[in-house]
Amino acid sequence: MIAVHDLAKQYHVGDHVVHALKGVTMAVAAAEFLTIVGPSGSGKSTFMHILGCLDRPTTGRYVLNGRDVSTLPPDELARVRNETIGFVFQGFNLLARTSAVENVELPLLYTRQGVVKAADRRDRAMQALAAVGLTDRADHHPNQLSGGQQQRVAIARALVTQPSLLLADEPTGNLDTATSHEVMEIFARLRSDRGITIVVITHERDIAAYGTRTADFRDGMVVQDRPNAARSAAPVV
Amino acid sequence: MRRFLRHPVVDTAIKALGRNRLQTALTMLGIAVGVATVLAMMAVGAGAQRSIEQQVRAAGLNQITIRAGNWRPKITDSDEAVAHQGDARESLRHPLDRLPDVLPIAFHPEDDPMEKHDHPTARQRLGDLEAGLGSAATMTFDDAEALRQLPGVQYVAGGIHENVRVHLDHPSTGSAQGKRWFTRMHGTDVMMPSIKRAWAFAGGRFFTEREQDRAAQVVVLGQVVADKLFGPGASPVGREVVVWNQPFEVIGVITSATWVVQPAPGDDQFDAVYMPYTTTQRLLNLSKLNDITVTAESSGDISRLSREITRLLRVRHGIGDNEPDDFTLITQATKALTTGGLPPSVARAVASNVAELEKVTLEQLALTMERASRTMTWLLAAVAAVSLLVGGIGIMNITLLSVTERTREIGLRMAVGARGKDVMRQFLFEAVVISAAGGLAGIVVGVIASIGIARTLQWSTVVSPLSVVLAFGIATAVGIFFGWYPARRASKLDPIVALRRD
Repeated sequence: MIAVHDLAKQYHVGDHVVHALKGVTMAVAAAEFLTIVGPSGSGKSTFMHILGCLDRPTTGRYVLNGRDVSTLPPDELARVRNETIGFVFQGFNLLARTSAVENVELPLLYTRQGVVKAADRRDRAMQALAAVGLTDRADHHPNQLSGGQQQRVAIARALVTQPSLLLADEPTGNLDTATSHEVMEIFARLRSDRGITIVVITHERDIAAYGTRTADFRDGMVVQDRPNAARSAAPVV
Repeated sequence: MRRFLRHPVVDTAIKALGRNRLQTALTMLGIAVGVATVLAMMAVGAGAQRSIEQQVRAAGLNQITIRAGNWRPKITDSDEAVAHQGDARESLRHPLDRLPDVLPIAFHPEDDPMEKHDHPTARQRLGDLEAGLGSAATMTFDDAEALRQLPGVQYVAGGIHENVRVHLDHPSTGSAQGKRWFTRMHGTDVMMPSIKRAWAFAGGRFFTEREQDRAAQVVVLGQVVADKLFGPGASPVGREVVVWNQPFEVIGVITSATWVVQPAPGDDQFDAVYMPYTTTQRLLNLSKLNDITVTAESSGDISRLSREITRLLRVRHGIGDNEPDDFTLITQATKALTTGGLPPSVARAVASNVAELEKVTLEQLALTMERASRTMTWLLAAVAAVSLLVGGIGIMNITLLSVTERTREIGLRMAVGARGKDVMRQFLFEAVVISAAGGLAGIVVGVIASIGIARTLQWSTVVSPLSVVLAFGIATAVGIFFGWYPARRASKLDPIVALRRD
């Protein structure tokens, strides 16, 4: 599914160069649930951006589903994001004054075939909402939803194009403990029921434990990468 | 429409514009002022154009008069003048009625003094008066009917013209004042007010078809005649005058409707009286017409129409190829030239050699009048340009504001697959929505303003559908032009940076 080789990323901040990633080599199999932990500035967000095709590595190769995407032009990267990747953010990033179902429809406005027809869009968005158990909140606006519900709408939005890879950057950072576990259960279920590959960044050890595998980032490098015994045994369909 | 409103780009634009309602409305106002000014400008311009065209028609530039008879100047000019005229002398057939040295060359049998007639010849009728152009009786009412059938002809009116004494009271009653005025009498057609665009009725009306058919003894006075007989400001309608010892009822008074022509004693239009040509024919026992007046639908069509008329009349009168015409065509252009203060020899040379002379004259008149409206048009154009520029900057400003406010949204859209061009299209569309809405408001205001200008300044304005479309197009173009930069900026945002923005 994902194969990165000697991935490096440098930023220029004023006069000096920041080495955000210093050669990461890693492979993630299909239907794996990878959690990434590490302190701030360890390069895990940069790594996630490159995995999500929002950014390109300075050096190194990134092969997604057998295709080298490290040098694709911006418009092609947008296509990849639309078709094979779903994003979930810490701050939900839902559009205000826009109903839950319309938020979920958003990726369907930018498909390779253009804007998906309204009726079709609504059907697919409702299916995605059903997958996160929010059918009855479809017409609510984000400010009428709890944090957990908003994040579930965001997950539905990430699912609506039926991607094979789901990326979440601190998805539970703005949620209380109980809701955090609900959200993580959804991820776990998507992996086991649909075989979606999931990568989650988190600060919290108990959240990281949901992964079948946990990678530990420090100073732009992976310092530890081990399977999670409790979870890896879970059946994969 | 409903489907259009539910299109995601449209829907997003409407929601986005709703966020900054006041700013959006103010920006639209700026565009509306600009568009309204553009529209008013075009309305004033078009109005001026139309009033020029009207004045041109009023001045009779689309008129052709065909007079019976053909006259050629007797050559008594100096050798030098003759040398200058060259070949023009032979081809010239224009009336130079101010010249005393003219002689008739084409006699009609009716004008032969030795011949027997069914009516008096011109010389007999006029006595000691010099028989003028048009006294040859070669044209008939049937000729007029035939001319009416020509394509491009607007109106046709036959006419009989005499010099008459108009008496205020019947001479036989011998009553007190016995006022009289020596003037021109035009026996003419009911069509005449349509031909003479420069006419306005100071009182009463023209004679009707019915009165013409009955050969009624009714008369319409020119302003000069009315003033001379009844005194300035009096209303002669309903009073009685006497012509040829016959009582006539005054049914109307005509005066000039345009500043181009002013009534003056001695002119042919307003120092004159008008009656049905049937009445003239009956009272004078005539069967012929002195002239036929034709108007062209288009004033640029005069030259072609003149050739057509000449051809038709030559055929109708059975004139052989090498014989001269027994009629004379006169257009306002040639008249203006031959009476315009030019030395006659030069005028003749020009008139006979310059093709499509009327267009030159038309252009000169139009040019003079255009100058009057040009100042106003330029002023409005300047105001329009400035207000559209300011409005456009307003659009750029509000679109930049929108891009800044929605940076996170842009980042999100990019993260879920929007390409740069998708983002660009969205913001360009929003800019165009503002400018187009402003444009629509401006069109409404502009139409009202044009009517206002017409009412208050007495300035003729014309709002054409084309100018409305054009004004709307300009508004939309302003939106695209000034929305381009902010939209491009939005499309170039880095999604990671955009997503991190608060």
